[in-house]
Amino acid sequence: MKAFTSVSPRSLPDAVTALSRARQQGQHAIIVGGGSDALALIKERLIAPDLVVRLTGIRQLDGIARDSNGLTIGGETTLAAMARHDELRRAYGVLAQAAESVATPQIRNAGTLAGNLAQRPWCWYYRNGFTCFKNGGNTCYSAAGENQFNAIFGGGPSFIVHPSDTAPALVALDATFRIVGPKGERTVPAAQFFTLPTVNPARENALEDDEVLTSIHVPAAKAGMRSLYHKVMDREAWTHAIVSAAAVLRMDGNVCRDARIVLGGVAPIPWRLTEVEKLLVGQTMNDALIDRAAAASTTGARPLRNNAYKVPLVQAVVGRALTDLRA
Amino acid sequence: MSPQRASSAGVQPLTTVGHPTPRIDAVERVTGKARYTNDVQLPGMLFARVLRSPHPHARITSIDVSNAHALPGVKAIVTHENGQVVWGSGSVAGGQQYSDEIKKITTHRRYTFNNPVRFVGEPVAAVAATDRHTAEEALHLIRVTYEVLPFVLEPEAALAADAPKIWPEGNLAVNNRNEPQPQVQRRGNVEEGFKASDHVFDARYSTAFVHNAQMEPRSAVAQWDGDRLTIYTPTGGIANCRTDMARDLGIPQEKVRVVCQYMGGNFGNKNQNQDADLIAAVLAKAAGAPVKLELSRKEDYIGMHGRWPTVQHYKIGVSNDGTLKAIQLRGFSGMGPYRKNSGAIAGTELYQCPNVESIVTPVFTNKTVSGNYRGPEFPQGFFGIQSMMDDVAAALKMDPTAFILKNMTRKFRDDTPYTNYSLEECLLRGMEMVRWKERWRPAGTDNGRLRRGLGVSFMAFRSGVGRSNAVARVNAKGDYTIHVGVTDVGAGAKTTMGVIAAEALRVPLSKVQVVWGDTETCPYSVGESGSRTTIMTGYAVIEAAKALMVQIAEQGLPAGDRVLTASSNPNPTVQGAVRNAFGAHFCEVEVEADTGRVRVTRYVTVHDCGRIINPLTASSQIVGGATQGIGMALHEDLVYDRRSGVPLTPGYYGARVMTHQDAVAIENVFIETDDGYGPYGAKSMGESSKVPAPAAVSNAVFNAIGVRVKDLPITRDKVLAALGGRA
Amino acid sequence: MSPTISRRRFLEGTGAAVVATTIAGPSGAQGTADITGTPPHAPGARTTRISLTVNGTARQIEVEHRWTLAETLRDHLHLTGTKIGCDRGECGACTVLVDDTPMYACSQLAIWMDGRHITTVEGLSANGQLDPLQQAFIDHDAPQCGFCTSGQLMSAKALLAANPAPTIDEVRAAMTGNVCRCSNYAHYTEAVLAASRQTDRRRV
Repeated sequence: MKAFTSVSPRSLPDAVTALSRARQQGQHAIIVGGGSDALALIKERLIAPDLVVRLTGIRQLDGIARDSNGLTIGGETTLAAMARHDELRRAYGVLAQAAESVATPQIRNAGTLAGNLAQRPWCWYYRNGFTCFKNGGNTCYSAAGENQFNAIFGGGPSFIVHPSDTAPALVALDATFRIVGPKGERTVPAAQFFTLPTVNPARENALEDDEVLTSIHVPAAKAGMRSLYHKVMDREAWTHAIVSAAAVLRMDGNVCRDARIVLGGVAPIPWRLTEVEKLLVGQTMNDALIDRAAAASTTGARPLRNNAYKVPLVQAVVGRALTDLRA
Repeated sequence: MSPQRASSAGVQPLTTVGHPTPRIDAVERVTGKARYTNDVQLPGMLFARVLRSPHPHARITSIDVSNAHALPGVKAIVTHENGQVVWGSGSVAGGQQYSDEIKKITTHRRYTFNNPVRFVGEPVAAVAATDRHTAEEALHLIRVTYEVLPFVLEPEAALAADAPKIWPEGNLAVNNRNEPQPQVQRRGNVEEGFKASDHVFDARYSTAFVHNAQMEPRSAVAQWDGDRLTIYTPTGGIANCRTDMARDLGIPQEKVRVVCQYMGGNFGNKNQNQDADLIAAVLAKAAGAPVKLELSRKEDYIGMHGRWPTVQHYKIGVSNDGTLKAIQLRGFSGMGPYRKNSGAIAGTELYQCPNVESIVTPVFTNKTVSGNYRGPEFPQGFFGIQSMMDDVAAALKMDPTAFILKNMTRKFRDDTPYTNYSLEECLLRGMEMVRWKERWRPAGTDNGRLRRGLGVSFMAFRSGVGRSNAVARVNAKGDYTIHVGVTDVGAGAKTTMGVIAAEALRVPLSKVQVVWGDTETCPYSVGESGSRTTIMTGYAVIEAAKALMVQIAEQGLPAGDRVLTASSNPNPTVQGAVRNAFGAHFCEVEVEADTGRVRVTRYVTVHDCGRIINPLTASSQIVGGATQGIGMALHEDLVYDRRSGVPLTPGYYGARVMTHQDAVAIENVFIETDDGYGPYGAKSMGESSKVPAPAAVSNAVFNAIGVRVKDLPITRDKVLAALGGRA
Repeated sequence: MSPTISRRRFLEGTGAAVVATTIAGPSGAQGTADITGTPPHAPGARTTRISLTVNGTARQIEVEHRWTLAETLRDHLHLTGTKIGCDRGECGACTVLVDDTPMYACSQLAIWMDGRHITTVEGLSANGQLDPLQQAFIDHDAPQCGFCTSGQLMSAKALLAANPAPTIDEVRAAMTGNVCRCSNYAHYTEAVLAASRQTDRRRV
């Protein structure tokens, strides 16, 4: 590892100050939560920071708080804490399950929600140091390369898939992200936090270099809300989703009143299936409807050479998620 | 315990042998006290790292190390310009030991640093510095200019007339006599056999590059004391490693000491020296200080050796009743740019058949170097031929067990009898355990979302006897010491040797010390490879013990400080017969037709490994081998970017190595036998459990979905493609 | 392949060493005093003094900011029971308990551990008494090569502390971040279940 300085500020203003000062001095500063992936990137020399700002020591960023409008989850809350949180498990199953599906117990014990949401892609080309969009280059090697795990939706010019499990869950829950930077604070709907490569192919989200994702707000669960996260991996543990589905339905008896279905592992951002949602709302959930919804879930998919299998897989996963939620 | 049963009717019970015995070094293994190579830290020791080629094929036109040398803390740098040492065991031997004879004959040299470089990950330079981070930083200050050359990754493509030439002689790998020749085996006449057949089938199967991925990344600590070299290294063969080091460095054998106290897994490729050993030794000499060279996990994956990938074209002739008439194999093995090992493809010997022709071509490619991995040529060959035969049986609407029982080997190559024969018993016993007759249905019977399948495979595997050495000693107190040149790679050899010694000496195991893992204190041993340690070194232990008991009978126990010593150097042979281990595996899977997920739901193994010396560690060998085989069948692949020749999936995450949640219980039965050879009848075991596993999984998946996935690994994308193609 | 040394040469050449080695301890251990060195800081590297508690003992150490917890434990505190198998959070050989929670020591910087309590495999057995898990690992032959064993033990230790009577699926889930390439998973899970039954009995 190239030498760097690591600081662990005790407060959010201290963190923001450290980041802006570094920027003013022309230093490359990075923010880390649990640190697992950041250290891997540094060891592979995919990034070479001068300053590592670690946020997990800031108490106000850690923890889950309830208010009349829902839950606020600090960005530095660990994935393990989320997975075992009673109310999350009960009322926001999709998020607790997504957190529990990440990597391994050791990584969930260290890894934080903000870190999971802002993690860099796991595309083979990026991780092996190819000079792609994500590594400061101006091409995407997966487009015509070994792309079995790459995007079938929303690709171009980069064809990464967003690696986060909690991201599709939070988009499905219509969460809001609170961001603090030197210019103050802003809130962004989850769906707008994640950005397509057409916006900036080097990035996956709307965070500026000196901004901190401080907390995530999830709106109060409405009566009849059911949710789940279904993740497909190519071994039984410690891989990212090949395809995943975060589904949140509001049911009134057998009738679907509201639906948000968001896919992971298939696009450079969490990929919301708006057309499928429209198809479900106001309808009685039965096998025929679920079949139609599953079939519609891949409308517009544009598979690459090696990932056409994701098309039937998405249909299967969406169908399975809806079937499980109906039960 | 896993469900373990033994059928021991065939052997006489013994006192220490055959009883479950915890490892004699178990406490060290569970307390962190066991000392592995990288744990060694010597005063003043430097740390070394290796710079590796980013190109699959390139000529180095210049290397500028001046900036790296200028970095404070850097003590020595070697490149092909100043540190060129022949790494004998890294190439040319075609699977044979790199001996002085071969060194004389071969013109094919692999050096520690080669120019041109021929695969991504080939060493280009190495740096020793006062600490690990400085060594690593220095690598990035070395300026290398390359003239990039065309490359080729796949063996069949490498044989094309217009393929880039990796060696001037061409890409057909040479053997140890410099001859570019395929490996040919023939009996009968296959063309006649096809004419005499009612049906002829042909198909192509392929297997992937699978890395050994032992948990301990390679490292080496080299220390010079004048002209004497001590090397700590994870080697399964301290004696061979010493010979290799001496030959490669041009120093007398007596000047080299090799130490390997504990080793974090082997699985092949370690019964000799490593380039890391040589580089560490050269750096230590240059720097005048001990050097620890460390490989990262990624370097271990791309810089070292794994199972050679294969392409296997079969043509099978068979009569209406399912009797084999002809077997033809055209196989190609990707060796990487150096022929470290044979590149053979086993399997045709599993069947009785009058007409057999096997032509296997090992081919140079610009992928990482292939070498031995747990049953070097067997799991991939057994997968190919047993998938093919399973397909033939299905085409003939035969139960695959009936096809196997009709056609499986009864004599070695239909000619030489086996020392004992239990293959049929293994199969029948396993069929009983899985209730084959009730559970098996023709392939593709299920049509729903969940499709159940049952598959079978079988094995016959070399278990030859041979030369090894042991020394037995006793002192006045009646404490016995056994010196064996083994290193315990994880299979439990130390304990096995102790158990055998206790039995032979007729004393409790607690009276026996085992000394291992250091060429200063141990005699020659064959080394831990080829499932030979128990058979060969174990037999030498018995012989040494017997000789010691003769001395004790004649002289009584020694008095005072005296020690009685006996040694053995037996070289037993089997006359007029072939010695094999036998076994059968049964795999049940559930395939989700909509998601392509394959889940192994039951796995049953039956093995004849002769007498079981230690049922406790033996069971671990079976569990581990079968589980590794399942992973080879379903997951593991070092994927290459075809446009750049860069490997994309090195490491446990990338290669999708099996985890706790992927593993299943392995139900095993040993059919114990004693054919009169080996120590108390023990036969080979370490590789036995691995070699039939991929075929069993492949056949189970085929049985579940009715379509064959012909290319390993059987990943979700291929399962879905197979099912899509069928619909 | 011929034997590389003759019997006579072996006995003459190495007799003294042989006698010395036979004095080693009562088990299969071969003692070697080969952990005696400690690497220096890189020239000019930024360091900070941290305090942490390791296996119940307060330690202070001047760390480079880039040092991982794993390399610090191994190289600088000489606690080599913690292994580095991948150095990327992919294998689990380096698992230690940080304030009783299993984490990958390769994926934490030492400087982040200021004020924390670390438990390594060396801290599992007290007063020469093996932890029930260690004994169960021995009885079920869970370790083969042993390189992943320390990490498996630490994950299992945390599991049983939180869940004294886990199911086999809970054991697999809790330990799935610990790869065993010898693939003796079945024996590891059996050992943990056996230890949990034993601990359970003892508690009752």
